[in-house]
Amino acid sequence: MVDRDGGDESTEADGGTVSQHARDHRETNYLEREVNLLNPSTPFMRDHLRVVWTGFVAWALVVFGPVTLTFVAPGPMTARMPVLGFPLHYFLVAIGAPGGALVLSFWYARKRDRLDEKYGIDHRQGTGTAAGDGSAVAADGGTDE
Amino acid sequence: MIAGVFLQSGLLPEGLNVSFKLAPAILVVAMLTLFLGIGYAFRVADTEEMWVAGRSIGNVENGMAIGANWMSAASYLGMAALIALSGFYGLAFVVGWSAGYFILLIFLAAQMRRFGKYTAPDFVGDRFNSDAARAIAAVTTFLIGFVYAIGQARGMGLVGLYIFGDIGIPGLSGYQSMVVLMMTITVGYLTLSGMLGATKNMAVQFVILIVAFLVGLYAVGYTQGYSTVLPQIEYGAMIGSLSSEFSEPFVNESYYLWIATAFSLVVGTCGLPHVLVRFYTVESERTARWSTVWGLFFICLLYLSAPAFAAFGTDLYTKNIGPTFGDPGMTSAAGDVIVVLATQLAGLPQWFVGIVAAGGIAAAIATVSGLFIAGSSAISHDIYATIVNEDASQRQQVLVGRLSIVALGVVTTLAALDPAAPIAALVSYAFSLAGAVLFPMFFLGLWWENTNRQGALAGMTTGLVIWTVPMINEVLPTYVGSGEPYSATLAAVVPAIGSALIAVPVVFAVTIGVSLLTGEPDMETKRLVRQCHSPEPMTRMQSAEDIAATDGGEPGDD
Repeated sequence: MVDRDGGDESTEADGGTVSQHARDHRETNYLEREVNLLNPSTPFMRDHLRVVWTGFVAWALVVFGPVTLTFVAPGPMTARMPVLGFPLHYFLVAIGAPGGALVLSFWYARKRDRLDEKYGIDHRQGTGTAAGDGSAVAADGGTDE
Repeated sequence: MIAGVFLQSGLLPEGLNVSFKLAPAILVVAMLTLFLGIGYAFRVADTEEMWVAGRSIGNVENGMAIGANWMSAASYLGMAALIALSGFYGLAFVVGWSAGYFILLIFLAAQMRRFGKYTAPDFVGDRFNSDAARAIAAVTTFLIGFVYAIGQARGMGLVGLYIFGDIGIPGLSGYQSMVVLMMTITVGYLTLSGMLGATKNMAVQFVILIVAFLVGLYAVGYTQGYSTVLPQIEYGAMIGSLSSEFSEPFVNESYYLWIATAFSLVVGTCGLPHVLVRFYTVESERTARWSTVWGLFFICLLYLSAPAFAAFGTDLYTKNIGPTFGDPGMTSAAGDVIVVLATQLAGLPQWFVGIVAAGGIAAAIATVSGLFIAGSSAISHDIYATIVNEDASQRQQVLVGRLSIVALGVVTTLAALDPAAPIAALVSYAFSLAGAVLFPMFFLGLWWENTNRQGALAGMTTGLVIWTVPMINEVLPTYVGSGEPYSATLAAVVPAIGSALIAVPVVFAVTIGVSLLTGEPDMETKRLVRQCHSPEPMTRMQSAEDIAATDGGEPGDD
């Protein structure tokens, strides 16, 4: 099942051979670009939202589809499944929906990691990319305001 | 709605063996001592550690903490109860309480981690630059903790009956005495340790509760000949032999109520402060994402098993006690301990039933910890230290935090002495509230930079009103009146258990509308939101605010 926390240790595109996407990413100042769910303003956001909406539609179908179908066509939906013996609607709702959400979550987290790779972003050091973030980390972390 | 049982204070699950049992009692006492020991070993003295565990938690550990924090008595006991009593409608809870995590993952988890504050009201207050918004969010957080924990207290009280019997506090029924005892223990342990102890404890509690539940399920299935290696699938074959009420769709409740309930639970998941805090405690946004996947995996372990337990329990109840459905049928008290009851009816030894019961208590305590930490940090951090006394020292904050935990414990205990509904329903009310008030603020606050203070205040107020009206309509009558809703029409259109279906679209519309009609937020706020979405990695201790205040890690800054 889930046996590792995603993220293939594939070769990084850094320094020498930087992909076009990574260059775009470096040249984008994300603090100057609008955030609007319906109107992505950066290439990264556009790509990311494509993944998000795809997942969302799939999720809506998996979670609310079987119930709605059962409501529309109770006859065929409540038929007993061969082998398992479940009524079909019960199986799709009790096992299909939670299981589907889990599979989709795994899929999304993978896709999101791929997106980081595509744009040449490395999360493993937990610090800024080539564009050094200037301010050293305060030892006490939190902002006291 | 599920009819409340008259005079619930005498709650007694029929068929459950209520007496003091040595082996289970030793087990539970040992478990509680372990929690206290862990809490003591990881006791904390400063707020950074108290509220967000030093932002040091990794993938699997946080996934386990998400699981334990999430799986309360409502998951462990209440869900099987609803599936047993309400059949197909009960699955709305299985679906709503698991599928919501996907929405949380794609829209909120990583962005919240980048925002990097301490509490949910922090987000609302800082995002909308408003102490009023912060206060509303803090009060909502406190209210959620209170409503949610009533269900936990009910669960602990009922399960405690099996283990300790009637301890007989003068003037209280056996169930009530148990609630008082269990809540006292929980609050005592919580005031000793903060979030760090809580996170470590949650990982342990998760292991205890999942092992107890699965071991119980396998043992019942195997000894009764229901199942062998995979009860989660094998129970399908016995559905045909149970009453038709168990699986027939929309006999107990309408399709509309099913959707309303599932929707409420999904958006509620995304609006719960104690769930959100789990993302503040992790190392990085990537950990926030992957720990959500782990968390959902751990949750599914239990959620795919609960219907099987319900099926076994229903069958055993029918064979040993009487018909589950119809009149009189199974009471809600028996339903709420069906997991323990099934293990007992399967003739398994007392110490073994004790393990299953202890798991239920672990589930309840883990969630109450998360809730009370969130509720008390709302009071001490968001209201006291941010609004009332800005010069509060760390010591004062921690003290106020502990006092509010005690206060929450007291009001919860009092309300749980005579609860108005079964565990899962009580908890769902809290979900409706989180979904109606906080979820739209989180979602719009993160995904539309022009959401402003006026919009947020109008939206949260609207959400509170839409949540309160059905609550008064349906819950109050059990205390004042006949027990039936004052208005049946209102209860059908806006059910308390699923009011977020109506509330969320309305709150979204109000928030967006008001934001459009009033001025845009200032540039600083917009930069804050943009920083939450920037793919640039951040250091462990940075919050979005730190970066947005500079020019955002562009080459050659500073």
